[in-house]
Amino acid sequence: MTETNKLTPPATAGSTATPNGAAAGETLLEVKDLKMYFPITSGIIFQRKVADVKAVDGVSFRVKRGETLGLVGESGCGKSTTARAILQLYRPTAGSVQFEGKELTKMGGNELRRMRRRMQMIFQDPYASLNPRMSVGSIIGEPLLIHGIAKNKKERQERVQELLRIVGLNPYFINRYPHEFSGGQRQRIGVARALAVEPAFIACDEPVSALDVSIQAQIVNLLEELQDQFGLTYLFIAHDLSVVRHISDRVAVMYLGRIVEIADRNELYENPLHPYTKALLSAVPIPDPVVEAKRERIILTGDVPSPVKPPSGCNFHPRCPIAIPECKEIIPPLEEKTPEHFAACIRV
Amino acid sequence: MTQTAEVTSVSSLQGKTSALVRGRSPAGEAWRRLTRKKLAMASLIYISAILVLGLLAPVLPIQSFSQQDLSNTRALPSWEHPLGTDDLGRDMLSRLIWGANTAFIVATVPLVVATALGVTIGLVAAWYRGWIDTLFMRFVDYLLAFPTLLLMIFLAATLKPAVVNFVREIGPAIGQPQLWRSGLVDYLAVLLILALVGWSGLARLVRGQALSLKEREFVEAAKAIGVPDRRILFLHILPNVMPLLIVLASMSMAGAIAAESTISFLGIGIVPPYPSWGSMIASTYGYLRTPYWWLLAEPLLIVTSLLYAFAYLGDGLADALNPQTR
Ligand SMILES: Nc1ncnc2c1ncn2[C@@H]1O[C@H](COP(=O)(O)OP(=O)(O)O)[C@@H](O)[C@H]1O
Ligand code: SF4
Ligand SMILES: [Mg+2]
Repeated sequence: MTETNKLTPPATAGSTATPNGAAAGETLLEVKDLKMYFPITSGIIFQRKVADVKAVDGVSFRVKRGETLGLVGESGCGKSTTARAILQLYRPTAGSVQFEGKELTKMGGNELRRMRRRMQMIFQDPYASLNPRMSVGSIIGEPLLIHGIAKNKKERQERVQELLRIVGLNPYFINRYPHEFSGGQRQRIGVARALAVEPAFIACDEPVSALDVSIQAQIVNLLEELQDQFGLTYLFIAHDLSVVRHISDRVAVMYLGRIVEIADRNELYENPLHPYTKALLSAVPIPDPVVEAKRERIILTGDVPSPVKPPSGCNFHPRCPIAIPECKEIIPPLEEKTPEHFAACIRV
Repeated sequence: MTQTAEVTSVSSLQGKTSALVRGRSPAGEAWRRLTRKKLAMASLIYISAILVLGLLAPVLPIQSFSQQDLSNTRALPSWEHPLGTDDLGRDMLSRLIWGANTAFIVATVPLVVATALGVTIGLVAAWYRGWIDTLFMRFVDYLLAFPTLLLMIFLAATLKPAVVNFVREIGPAIGQPQLWRSGLVDYLAVLLILALVGWSGLARLVRGQALSLKEREFVEAAKAIGVPDRRILFLHILPNVMPLLIVLASMSMAGAIAAESTISFLGIGIVPPYPSWGSMIASTYGYLRTPYWWLLAEPLLIVTSLLYAFAYLGDGLADALNPQTR
């Protein structure tokens, strides 16, 4: 795979990123108090809003150019919604999303369409994320066509073949259809489609969760190689802590629509502050039996509450082993507890 | 996983476009599956043969469907009249083939109109949701709540006079003052009725399918790329609704042929002398227990065999287009 990548590094035209993250440090994406509520309506002709699904409820974080921010949390906590709201696939209910210094939430039409060349998404389900009725050539060629990246059909085909090569697929499979590929290969096609517009940022929404364990590492490695090669910045979503640990520079932990902790990868795994993070980590088996036997286990009780009626105050309080009465009242802000280590808990 | 192997072979293939691997498109695959179903294929051939015969009726060397020979009524099959003559001495073969012509028109024209209408409304309702969706779907509900036959009778009673009047009024203007007396208005009215009855169920099914497709990740991916709405609807969603449309088309063609026969049988569709299997059945209905029963049997046999063929074809299509449902 590494060899193929050397074949033809595609032009990073239009991108200010330099390979290997030379410009690292500068903020590429800044999300501030992002909220995404889905209204629940009822009524026959006139739809009345009766409640909200608070899928994302005040999320803030920054992603620096060239880095990978991991985003973990249980299924249904709002990770995918966060990614979609950042990319404006859902228009956020409130909050701000600044990308390369530009406010996305107020953008529309052509301006937003142009921004789509700078940020892309890779999806979870390799079977649902490719249109079964389009050939691989049309799937990967579509972004080239939409953004006028290739001048003509021939150029487009050449570029598609180059992209196939870059993601480690046979470029002569351009006329094949998604059903003729395996899950891992399909995920590579999805990666090629995202790469086609030469983006600076890719939101990877659980890109390996649906794959066999043996294939997962291949895709993660591919993503890492592409990051090095093209200076990409990732938001890497997973519910699997080990995958995130491998690929991320920093990790954010999400619970019921809010971020409860963000820190440098090693810091977070070695010194978790928030009780929810501790609980998540204690569920990950440690290969060393001595450490495994000695460490404290935190078993969460109860179910994840519904995002329609989240608990008051710190929404983790019904399941928190160290909750105190005040937790029901105060929404704990995400504070810097130690340098570059943020947590949202009044007891740490 | 074979990617690594595939990749190493790349350099040797480079530059040879002939090395492009042919893909197996889902449509091609479905067709291949259909061709393996003997009953469905036989039905397809039978249906096509009858409809093509009907389509070619004006150019076939057959006798006139309205030429009466009162000295030779209810004649048994002969060299001159291979399927005999009816009670006015008209050639049965010619009337049956012209009946197929009517069936062809009735099966295709409203289908095209109803499909265009149903697909557009279904897609728009699913894509934009909101009040427009509510409005269309309530309307569809009301239409579907009527028993179809009742609705058709109601429409035939109200629409046909309107069409006749309309044609009578524009007749002189287009230099055809007698046009309203011709069978054309019958056809117009029947086609309009079938199209009006046909689109609603289709719209609802298309909407349902489009709604589920809309949530699929490939649509999300298209949005992330910046594909315009209209292109998403027509290039991503519509092709995935096609299998459903094809199955529905086969069903609704059968439905239209049955419906035309029914309303013509009831005397409110195509009326004699214009040829329709339904009106032929109606006029020979009394011969059931007489020596002339074959006058009834001929059109009846064609209608029923055709409807059976459509049922087998529909089954085969549903199987071939959704292999996962088996
Ligand atoms: N389009 C939508 N309409 C209504 N509710 C939604 C929608 N998308 C997601 N949700 C709800 O928002 C919550 C978060 O979903 P999601 O972001 O998919 O979680 P995750 O990706 O972390 O598993 C869930 O309760 C889900 O049911
Ligand atoms: S704020 Fe209270 S409930 Fe929330 S995590 Fe901290 S201790 Fe637990
Ligand atoms: Mg998700």
